[in-house]
Amino acid sequence: MSRRLLIALAVAGAAVTGAAAVLVLLAHDFQPYGPAEKVAQVAIGGIWVAAGLIAWQRRPGNRVGPLMTAVGFGNLAPFLYWDAALPFTLATLIEWLALPVGLHLILAFPSGRLSTRFERWFIAFTYAAVLVGSLISQLFADSSTGCPDCPRNLLRVNLDAGVWKVVSILGDLVLIAILLPAVVLLVRHVRRATGLTRRALAPVLLSWAAAATCLAALLVVDALGGKTEETALLWAGDVAFAAVPVAFLVGLLRTKLHRSGVADLVVELGSLPPPAQVRDAIARTLGDDSLELGFWLPAERRYVDADGKRLEADPRAGRAVTVLEPAGERLAVLVHDPSLLEDPELVEAVGAAASLALENSRLQAELRAQLVEVRASRARIVEAGDAERRRLERDLHDGAQQRLLGIRLALQLARGHAGDEQAIADLLSEADAEVLGALEELRALARGIHPAILTEDGLAAALSGLARRTPVPVELSVCTERMSAPVEATAYFVAGEALANVVKHAHASRVTIDVTRANGNLAIEITDDGTGGADANGAGLRGLRDRVEALDGHLQVECPSSGGTRVTAAIPCA
Amino acid sequence: MSQTVLIVDDHAGFRGFARRLLEAGGFDVVGEADDGASALAAVAELRPELVLLDVVLPDTDGFAVAERLAHDGARPAVVLTSSRQAADFGSRLERSPTRGFIHKDDLSSAALASLAVEAP
Repeated sequence: MSRRLLIALAVAGAAVTGAAAVLVLLAHDFQPYGPAEKVAQVAIGGIWVAAGLIAWQRRPGNRVGPLMTAVGFGNLAPFLYWDAALPFTLATLIEWLALPVGLHLILAFPSGRLSTRFERWFIAFTYAAVLVGSLISQLFADSSTGCPDCPRNLLRVNLDAGVWKVVSILGDLVLIAILLPAVVLLVRHVRRATGLTRRALAPVLLSWAAAATCLAALLVVDALGGKTEETALLWAGDVAFAAVPVAFLVGLLRTKLHRSGVADLVVELGSLPPPAQVRDAIARTLGDDSLELGFWLPAERRYVDADGKRLEADPRAGRAVTVLEPAGERLAVLVHDPSLLEDPELVEAVGAAASLALENSRLQAELRAQLVEVRASRARIVEAGDAERRRLERDLHDGAQQRLLGIRLALQLARGHAGDEQAIADLLSEADAEVLGALEELRALARGIHPAILTEDGLAAALSGLARRTPVPVELSVCTERMSAPVEATAYFVAGEALANVVKHAHASRVTIDVTRANGNLAIEITDDGTGGADANGAGLRGLRDRVEALDGHLQVECPSSGGTRVTAAIPCA
Repeated sequence: MSQTVLIVDDHAGFRGFARRLLEAGGFDVVGEADDGASALAAVAELRPELVLLDVVLPDTDGFAVAERLAHDGARPAVVLTSSRQAADFGSRLERSPTRGFIHKDDLSSAALASLAVEAP
């Protein structure tokens, strides 16, 4: 859009507005309203043209500006007919164009584009229907009826009142065919609007609603026989209608205003804040709270967020994706509100301003991603270890134990055959006792590797078995909910190790085990009344701490001054 | 007349000794099965009065087999056995439709007979 065209349009707008104002003041007596209010209406047309031209100049690629300008000129047109047939005919011909232009404007706001094929077809139909409809109705309209003081209609060809009636009904039908889908599309446009678009739309809808309310009230007053010339409603409606182009302009330029924030962004990011703050600062500058910032990990060819977690950067419903490559090298990605695409320069400026902080944050995010990976692999190691323990336990049970059991049955049979040979019977009994001892040891070993009941019946059952086998009295309070296998096994081994320590070192008379689930954590507390002095860095407890921490939990060993030992562990189990 | 028994266990050695032990104790061992599926087939074919059923089986577990038997036509008395302790199975033992549980350490004709005569 050239500067020359803008200036020409501005001059034309001023000329038309001036001419219309003069004409309204001097020449007209066929309009029902007073001259002051008429001048106000001319001024509103001028405001539309001016706001439209500003919008056009500031956002040259956006159709909102031209459309607003068109609405302004359309509003001014009806004032231009003085008492001459030609301008009157032309003005009435284009009078109705305000309808398609207005619909086009609001459906295309703020991007300037119609978003669906149906919208494009509908707006094209509306333009065509209004143009053709205006032309046809001009062919049959008689300006002397309804507007006795109006000039002659040059296009008029038929005087038949019947034909005019049919044409009027057809015109009404076309109007309904336009207005019904328009309402549906408008509602959908507003409902679909997200974040920034919604914020831009709000003042427009508000001012438009105010203007419509005034118009409706005016019609009611009119119908009740009130005098509308003097009514304040008329003026209120004018003010509201004058606010509409201002609202359009403000909404359109709002993202533009964000641009001044880029300077603040440079200052804020100068101190190289942590990755999460970089995101917040960029979100603030772009005015998009929903913004997601992903850092590119070139080695792994994926994005991660500030916490090092994977971020999917695929365009999806209601989200747009902008890759930031300030120096030609991919650095980060923004997943943002699609309305930001209207101002690619702003996004680009933000990307450039943030590049140093982004590079810095990317390294931090990379470290965190590695940490996330290490944590995951630690948890996987624990799980793999548990699986191996389960397999070992099964192997012991299915292999050696079964053979020993077979031997015991054989010994029983042999004893039956021994008859009166007491010496042989005694020998067989001794052998049986040995085999039974071996079986017991094997079972204890298998249970230590992985208690089968933990898998079968959960933590509560496994711990009560453990308590039964402990020579010190154990008071148990365990929640019965089932948790994931690694969490249950870890909790079991913590309790097992703590109990073993109590038996070995503490000389305690009683132990309490408390297992509760709260706030997404499984909390285990083992307290005894023994002599204390547990070594938190002993091999057993240190191994358990590693295991607990591999599941992102904590393990603590305390020896309170009141005596005894308290082992507490918290394991996330959400 | 002696009671007919089916022995279900995946260890052939154990089955052999158990058969001889139970036969010595007066039971009539009519068959052996080494997994859940063949156990169900053997019960349908042999109609034993009693099934000595190992809990840990290669294809399923003794609890599932006992459930199926309780709903099928033959409905023999089922006694579960395992080299694991009863406590290892927790509440599942109590919930299963069986006469009871004998630890393999304690398996004898007398133990089986005492469970088998109890009313279901």
